[in-house]
Amino acid sequence: MPYTAPRPSPQQHSRVLSGGGAKAASHGASCAAVPAEVARHHEHAARAGQCCSAVVQAIAAPVGAVWSVVRRFDRPQAYKHFIRSCRLVGGGDVAVGSVREVRVVSGLPATSSRERLEILDDERRVLSFRVVGGEHRLANYRSVTTVHEAGAGAGTGTVVVESYVVDVPHGNTADETRVFVDTIVRCNLQSLARTAERLA
Amino acid sequence: MAEICCEEAKSTPATAVAAASVSATAAAAAAVAVASSALERRRRRLEMRRFRVAGDPEAPVAEDVRAAKRQRLARTLSSTCPDAGSGSGSDSDRPALPERLPRYGVTSVCGRRREMEDTVSVRPDFVPGTSKQHFFGVFDGHGCSHVATMCQNMMHEVVADEHRKADCSGEETAWKAVMERSFARLDEQAASWATSRSRDEPSCRCEQQKPLRCDHVGSTAVVAVVSPTHVVVANAGDSRAVLSRAGVPVPLSVDHKPDRPDELARIKAAGGRVIYWDGARVLGVLAMSRAIGDGYLKPFVSSEPEVTVTERTDDDECLILASDGLWDVVTNEMACEVVRACFHSNGPPAPAARANGAALRAAENGSAAAKGVSVEDSDKACSDAAMLLAKLALARRSADNVSVVVVDLRRGI
Repeated sequence: MPYTAPRPSPQQHSRVLSGGGAKAASHGASCAAVPAEVARHHEHAARAGQCCSAVVQAIAAPVGAVWSVVRRFDRPQAYKHFIRSCRLVGGGDVAVGSVREVRVVSGLPATSSRERLEILDDERRVLSFRVVGGEHRLANYRSVTTVHEAGAGAGTGTVVVESYVVDVPHGNTADETRVFVDTIVRCNLQSLARTAERLA
Repeated sequence: MAEICCEEAKSTPATAVAAASVSATAAAAAAVAVASSALERRRRRLEMRRFRVAGDPEAPVAEDVRAAKRQRLARTLSSTCPDAGSGSGSDSDRPALPERLPRYGVTSVCGRRREMEDTVSVRPDFVPGTSKQHFFGVFDGHGCSHVATMCQNMMHEVVADEHRKADCSGEETAWKAVMERSFARLDEQAASWATSRSRDEPSCRCEQQKPLRCDHVGSTAVVAVVSPTHVVVANAGDSRAVLSRAGVPVPLSVDHKPDRPDELARIKAAGGRVIYWDGARVLGVLAMSRAIGDGYLKPFVSSEPEVTVTERTDDDECLILASDGLWDVVTNEMACEVVRACFHSNGPPAPAARANGAALRAAENGSAAAKGVSVEDSDKACSDAAMLLAKLALARRSADNVSVVVVDLRRGI
């Protein structure tokens, strides 16, 4: 399916979280005890016709091990098993603004995705990318993944939060869109847990 | 079958190949026309019309596109050769007695998909200590190929093992239990694929990642056990088994699509959802409601097979097992007609039999008059049928891998 042009829609001036999904996103972030300085990355300004959500995953591995896998913008297939291959457009090193071309495994309603790196913060362990093309139905998808120590004290494990905002495709509801994307994100984070726990 | 594949790979343009196939069929039809009744002639004209319609998609092919098309066809045919090698492996395991040989043809082509994730398994006399029971399976993988490969390698052994434990004497309920336990065992193996993988298996992408579990990979499985008296079919997913009986297609499986009313109800009752996202999909992700593997979609995507036990009759002509790469673009009726046409074109060689309408009808029904058809002719007819069906699917622009097994069920051969 060809990538559809972004839906024309007036941008809300205030950063308003809309829909139950937004509340869930905020709630999820709160439950994860995300530091305030990072929580703002999970506050998505969802326009009309968009939805957002968040998935939280606990991982029994040091935060450094988890982050070392998450931060590889050039190698998402290390834990995202729905990705068959990944290629940086134009080669070179990974930096904000880098674009990757991702090919998706068979059986899914997508074949490829072109994604731009928006944030790569090693100090606060924040990674964000925006989908800018490809063959799928997720227009204007933007994702933020943050990695944190769980609870008090070092060595107690890690919590990963991935939140996103995306257009609701024509013919589907916001709820259906969240079910679809959450399923993929949850599967990815569960794979991340297994990968990182094996590295540790 | 390897010879057929190699010959086809060396052939000239795809349109010429298709034309040659149609011409051969036309010649066969012409050869028996004088002996047929008016009704037979009318039916044959309808068949020929359908073949011409099937050929239409290739008509607009431009001269410059033809070369690319030929290359693609050659490449897909060459990808069949490794499967042919696998088939040869099966052939080398055949028992000595020619009377016990199953007569079948197999074709598996990559088609327009970039990767081959279908597998086919043919295991004659697969139950140790029991004769005349033959295993056929088609497995259409998704996400990766290793679950389909595992089914290819293990399913027949697991079925044989469960059959032995059940002391199965052929009752429908007993076969249902055997198949359900077999599919469940393969499903468990798929979930713990990394630990169960043998070193001999070809590597795939997932092996390079070395995950402990591979929840995101799965496969359809349509399996048939053919004995002298029964055909047992077990199916999970959207591959399909069809019996041709007196020229009429009899489905032995029903595709597990998420929007099939009873499947939709089962998924909802389990707390899942079916979302239309490029078609009906479980949670918007997977376009089938049952499969081996796909742990991340459990319990909504079940590995429990639907099992049918069908008593064989003298009217039975063939059994066709194929992946949805075929069935998405070819109806059951068309598939049965193609096989029947191939059987006719490899029909009784004796001129006397062909000249006599009554004998011809007897031959069609697999009665005594058909004894003249050798096992080699039958294997060739099945192989031709499987190959022709795969080509028909490609010509109709199937977007998937295509795997076809054709089993000759005619008696008296």
